[in-house]
Amino acid sequence: MTQLSDLKVLVVDDHFLVRQFVRNTLQEAKINDVQTAADGNEAIDMVQKAHETERPYDIVLLDWNMPTVSGLEVLNYFRAKPEYANTAFVMLTVESEQQNIMKAIKAGATSYMIKPVLPGDFSKKLAEIYDWILRKRQAANAKK
Amino acid sequence: MMPSEREPAKRFELDERLAQHISDAVCVAINTTFSVSITPGEVVFGEGMVSLMGDVSGIIAMVQDRLEGTLTVCMPTEALRDILPRVLGHGIPVTRDMTSDAVGEITNLVFGQIKTELNQRGHVFRLGIPSVIQGKGHFVSQFHRGRYMLASFHIENHLIQVHVAIHGGACDPSCADAP
Repeated sequence: MTQLSDLKVLVVDDHFLVRQFVRNTLQEAKINDVQTAADGNEAIDMVQKAHETERPYDIVLLDWNMPTVSGLEVLNYFRAKPEYANTAFVMLTVESEQQNIMKAIKAGATSYMIKPVLPGDFSKKLAEIYDWILRKRQAANAKK
Repeated sequence: MMPSEREPAKRFELDERLAQHISDAVCVAINTTFSVSITPGEVVFGEGMVSLMGDVSGIIAMVQDRLEGTLTVCMPTEALRDILPRVLGHGIPVTRDMTSDAVGEITNLVFGQIKTELNQRGHVFRLGIPSVIQGKGHFVSQFHRGRYMLASFHIENHLIQVHVAIHGGACDPSCADAP
């Protein structure tokens, strides 16, 4: 992965509208490898399968409130597994309270976006997340 | 913060400032999601029962320890058929499930912004899950003891109605909040 457009992204939201909106926004940023999941369970399966059998996701965008398994639970699940340390897990939610933002950051969220996100703000966050991924990869390569 | 240092309890008021915030929230949610121009119309304040008419309505309960209320977003199917292809792509048939999903998410986005404003005022609400009602020309009748606001918006010639009613007593700023 050498540039932003090479990112592989999973969008997790129970609303079809949001999944499609985020997909469109990512495609405007020339990110075309975008897949979607409608709930936390599906997201866990997809992230694990990608990690084991194909190219892992670079970014997982997580809604907080979803049926069955919440975005925060998905985040907690993967942050307990060191092999996913280089994956950016980003909360994309209407939850805007400081204590919830802190809860997500403490759980290991790479970034936090509050819906609705203006396209310009989304691009800025995306650039920050991309920088985070590059730094993580450089650090991992330096250790080898 | 120690209990003795707590801010004094604040009396809730559904005032013009909050009404403006709600109006802005509706415009931002719809404009950002659909890249469509939405025009705020009349805002009416009242007390007691009021009925809204639409084809797809999203309703969300607003709950905390001392206050309760509802947010209702009522939309005509034609408006949704016009704006949904802007996100889903033109040529994709707009289904009943898609309109339901869209109104549920619009309600969710609006409530998220209202909740942020109320939380900043010390009225800490929990996030609710919206329910969506479908039916051509249905009525949603709201019964509340307190003041309500009914705001209208237009997307081209389509009328969108948003009703917010909250009633209850003073708020304790220390109310716990959790999603």
